[in-house]
Amino acid sequence: MGNLLLATILLPLAGAVLAFGPRRGARAVALAATVAALAMAGTLVFRYPVGASGEFAVFDAAWFGADSSIDIRLSVGLDGLSLWLFGLTALLSLTAVLVGWESIRQQASAYYRLLLVLETGMLGVFAARDIILFYVFFEFTLIPLFFLIGIWGSSQRRHAAIKFFLFTLAGSVLALLGLLAIVLWDHYHSPAGQMTFSIPRLTENLAAAPIPTGVQLWIFAALFAGFAIKVPMFPLHTWLPLAHVEAPAAGSVLLAGVLLKIGSYGFVRFVLPMLPDATAICAPWLLGLSVVGIVYAALVALAQSDIKRLVAYSSISHMGFCMLGLFALNPLGIQGGVLQMVNHGLATGGLFAIVGMIYERYHTRAIADLGGLAKRTPRLAAFMLLMTLSSIGLPGLGGFVGEFLILLGMFQRAWTAAPPAGALPLRVISVLALSGVVLGAWYMLGLVRRVFFGPLREPKRDPAEPPVADLSAREVMALTPLAVFIVWIGLQPSFFLDRMSPTLDHLTGEAQRREVEVTADERGWTQMDGRAQTTLANGWHAPRDEGRGISANHALRPSGRATLAFPLSHPRPSAFIRGSTLLRTTTTAPLTPTRTKP
Amino acid sequence: MFDVSTLLILIPGVPLLATLVTAALGRWVLGRRSHVPVVAATAISLAASLLLIAEVHHGAQGWHVPERSEGRGDSANHALRSSGRATQCEDQIGYEQTVTLWTWAAVDQAPRGGQSHLRGENAGWPRHDSRAAKTGAVPTGRDDAASRDFRIDVTLRADALTAIMLAVVSFVSLVVAVYSIGYMAGDPGYWRFFTYIGLFVFSMLMLVSVSNFVLLYVFWEAVGLCSYLLIGYWYDRPAAAAAGMKAFLVNRVGDFGFALGVFLLWTTYGTLDFHDTVAGGAVTSVGILGQTRLADPAMFATGATATAICLLLLLGACGKSAQFPLHVWLPDAMEGPSPVSALIHAATMVTAGVYLVARCAPLFAASADAGHVVAVVGGFTAVLGAVIALTQTDLKRILAYSTISQLGYMFLGLGVGTVLGVTAGMFHLFTHAFFKALLFLAAGSVMHAMGDVIDIRRLGGLRRRLPVTHWTFLAGCLALAGVLPFAGFWSKDMILAAVHEKAGAGGALYMVLYFAALATTFLTALYTFRAYFVTFFGVEKVPEEAGGHAHESGRAMTGPLVILAVCAVAVGAVFGWTHGFADFLRQTPSIAFLDARTAPMFDESQPPATAHLAIVVLSTVAALAGIALAAALYLGSGAAVSRLARVMNVLGLYRLSRGKFFFDELYRLVVVRPLAGLARACSWADDRVVDGLVDLCGRLPPALGSALRPMQNGMIQFYALAMILGLLVLFAAVFL
Repeated sequence: MGNLLLATILLPLAGAVLAFGPRRGARAVALAATVAALAMAGTLVFRYPVGASGEFAVFDAAWFGADSSIDIRLSVGLDGLSLWLFGLTALLSLTAVLVGWESIRQQASAYYRLLLVLETGMLGVFAARDIILFYVFFEFTLIPLFFLIGIWGSSQRRHAAIKFFLFTLAGSVLALLGLLAIVLWDHYHSPAGQMTFSIPRLTENLAAAPIPTGVQLWIFAALFAGFAIKVPMFPLHTWLPLAHVEAPAAGSVLLAGVLLKIGSYGFVRFVLPMLPDATAICAPWLLGLSVVGIVYAALVALAQSDIKRLVAYSSISHMGFCMLGLFALNPLGIQGGVLQMVNHGLATGGLFAIVGMIYERYHTRAIADLGGLAKRTPRLAAFMLLMTLSSIGLPGLGGFVGEFLILLGMFQRAWTAAPPAGALPLRVISVLALSGVVLGAWYMLGLVRRVFFGPLREPKRDPAEPPVADLSAREVMALTPLAVFIVWIGLQPSFFLDRMSPTLDHLTGEAQRREVEVTADERGWTQMDGRAQTTLANGWHAPRDEGRGISANHALRPSGRATLAFPLSHPRPSAFIRGSTLLRTTTTAPLTPTRTKP
Repeated sequence: MFDVSTLLILIPGVPLLATLVTAALGRWVLGRRSHVPVVAATAISLAASLLLIAEVHHGAQGWHVPERSEGRGDSANHALRSSGRATQCEDQIGYEQTVTLWTWAAVDQAPRGGQSHLRGENAGWPRHDSRAAKTGAVPTGRDDAASRDFRIDVTLRADALTAIMLAVVSFVSLVVAVYSIGYMAGDPGYWRFFTYIGLFVFSMLMLVSVSNFVLLYVFWEAVGLCSYLLIGYWYDRPAAAAAGMKAFLVNRVGDFGFALGVFLLWTTYGTLDFHDTVAGGAVTSVGILGQTRLADPAMFATGATATAICLLLLLGACGKSAQFPLHVWLPDAMEGPSPVSALIHAATMVTAGVYLVARCAPLFAASADAGHVVAVVGGFTAVLGAVIALTQTDLKRILAYSTISQLGYMFLGLGVGTVLGVTAGMFHLFTHAFFKALLFLAAGSVMHAMGDVIDIRRLGGLRRRLPVTHWTFLAGCLALAGVLPFAGFWSKDMILAAVHEKAGAGGALYMVLYFAALATTFLTALYTFRAYFVTFFGVEKVPEEAGGHAHESGRAMTGPLVILAVCAVAVGAVFGWTHGFADFLRQTPSIAFLDARTAPMFDESQPPATAHLAIVVLSTVAALAGIALAAALYLGSGAAVSRLARVMNVLGLYRLSRGKFFFDELYRLVVVRPLAGLARACSWADDRVVDGLVDLCGRLPPALGSALRPMQNGMIQFYALAMILGLLVLFAAVFL
């Protein structure tokens, strides 16, 4: 399996080498390579065992030699976090190849080569298990896209490409700085004596011997700068609309669908597991930034007159939801956030593909030039409606599941987990985030109404030309897989969640616990260790489930009592109970929780 | 032959299948026969719903109202297994049975420690064991009461409330689907229409049968989507496209509240299920409306939380059921085809809010304030809708405002919060579904014959040309006006009785509401018969769009009209007089709970018609007065009308009513415009301020470069001076 994974990553690169010659040959090679990569990625994804929290399909080879004092490895693998993003990349790459099928005419072989190199970079970023390898693949994604925008983009392409490149490069350099700081800290404080760049080893080392909080905060700042630009979070987002508007359709699809996820992926892969204390401390600020991004970008989207700009701002708004979920720091929010990355990739990737198809037909992106296209291109309109509905979170489609879990997690955090004093800002954030859903429906449905409904309005065309055609079989092929997954995630999210949850629990458990400790310290809650049976009174919210202090919802009555059990064997057996509610603590078994009657 | 679980799956399952078949084959294979799957499926659903009613009735025979102070044994006794016939429990509150299909989503709440970190490719063991293995805890079972994980199962439920809703929805759907065969004949999107209708029927049936707030929300939005698609069915008409979007957005505002309510329910109760979850003979999760909680009302949240939850749910209900202040979308929704108006925007979807409040009756019972708000919103909307309906000239819009007004009636009944009130509200939903669907279909028949003209000022004297439409419309009007013995009379009377009863128990508020409801009765009769007399009496006026050959519609359309007319005449008397409806509905756990809590305040063994003679007389007088006034005004010359209009105009009432109290304009001024302005401001700021700062950072290095460039001036003397100065500074730094 490990070899298959490595082969999947390198296959597009091999395709890039072979994709020379005239347009037809190059694009055939590109198609073959992406289809083969998709098939292999599909094999890997669907073979992933449910319930596994470790890596799957690991390929591991020393790069600097095993006895070297520096441990840098050519090491790739999949886990619950990278699994679906990996699959999404393979899927969207196929879409990307298909959307430019006819419209790319100049320097086609170079175009397809860059596209394939980009695919290798994206697959590699998600699969990398080594920091250096991660960084290499990260940069690998940057350069092809720079050229894709700069050469095949529209009128302002140079400006857009340079802005995109400088912005992300600055971010990635800062991120590298932060990651190196983690490596060095680990090196100087671990007994092994070998400087390791292995992500799983670092995760484990740092869980056992955490970095001091003060140092964590500095590293957090560096990583935040790097990844927040990539996401992008407000106010570091201005490169995105420009890059989207100027990029060719395939570039937009991959940029929105995959590349933005590298930022949020970085947060879950590095920041939450390795810097749990800093995460817990900064989480409220990040939540605030996320919700500002959600509402602000939604408002800006509302005022756009260019289809692509509108979708680009919607993208910023939706990525705000992902970040909101991640920094809610509870399982609901985090799983929702990661699932939402996939949903956003499918829906927004699909939307950009559709916008590209419209542009190919009418050579305009101005909403005012178009109207009533549902009459002319019903199939295109149907796909547009599906993607739109998923992106505004209609139940039964993927977007709903992600948004719902994120908001549920956020509400849980704000209403039950937070200390009373810190609760109000969090509650405001929750409600504002929910209002982003209403705004989202407004601007997206407004777009659909103006472009697809009403009387037919098309830009002036040469009367000799045949009228614009509906989607061709090729274009339907490009969109159908996205639609299938959008519906699948909506109807059976458990299929996707079950495969990601153990890994996410493992990666983010530490940050979640720290978050509770931080709030508990602030509020002076009572801390208890060991196995204890606690009788509570007047408590709506009691610590739950094996005493790890993740306060959740207990249907205790206002004046009710509950008996709860805390196992001694847990690595961090601490529980936090609001002091006033603690009545009696004993240290006896048995461990059968019961609800006592009044 | 059919047990409850089979029926529950069958009822929504068959329409779903029909939808998929129509969607897949409609365009190329079925063509003009695209209606066949949906009509057949709704017929099967109807039959299954009727069987389900019988099953529920049968299963609930052992039911009785429990005493409030009754001691509870092991809570396992309360719950029913999810399959097989219900056991009859003596102390069960109401009757319910659930069937779980599959797990939609599940998220473990507790993060796991990083100790036993699985590696390799064969690490796929089930989550059950991995959890116990990792924590090292004594395995107390995955579903013990202390581990309340987020878990949403697709669970369907059978109880009296659901059974009635299923029967109403499938019956009206069937009738409307048959009618649509004639009405939509020849439309190029014939298959598309029936696909949407099938999808709607499936979603609506699921909405009333799911046993979980998340899934309720899912199908709540799904019916909203169908509404959006069907209002904008003729999408090339700008008005239709705009109306669809308006409906969706206003509903989104309501759903904003609904979602907030659901989140608060989650943070308060730790579950979103209606029912208790039973495993191994013990209740493992106490549902929000489950038997355990119903048996012990102290388990309901009270105070501000309860009120907040109820008001937020009510906001959702106001969106879907077009109650003030979110009523503005429904009249515009009339841009959709008439069968859609009848099915979705009169009989079924808009009653989802009523269903929601009835289902959550125990939650509302825990907060008296919320109950008052429901009643006030309902009463106010009833009057508001009726006043606006008086002056509208579009027949379908008159009916739409009438729907808003009648839904207000239902909310008024629900707001009373007693068993009588809730059953009355539901009973009005039941009768209203028949006669309002009838009125819309009849209006559609008029439109069909008149070349899509629906402005009553351009119609007149149609009773000879459209005899069947005329007589059925009259039946609907009488039912809507609440004339004895037509359907609307019975349910409206029950609501009045409930409000009066509450007013009698103290509460000036309910006295005001009672008189508001009486006034609405008068107004209802007035606007209904205004529309009726103007359209069907007087000089015959046929618009030229009809093409000179206006005639009665075909049998596919008149058949459903006649069936519904029979219902509009009879259902009230059959189910109202015999108390059959109320007795059956009271077996619903949520409503039986109210029974257990509130002592009946009047003798229910007698039919309300005799028990509340005064109410009956008053409401009948009001209705007849309305009809008489309408006859006096609209059967004579127009002089009386214009004189009255002028008088009303002096008071400003006429303009207000004609302008629908200018809610659209108000919302545009207060909400839409400011938000759009804010959006433009943000857009400007994003370009200039945020991106401007970024560009400023970008210009910084070149600016710094050009600032320092003069230093590189090529003069050796300057370099030497700089070196010496630099050295001096260095020395100073080292030695001082």
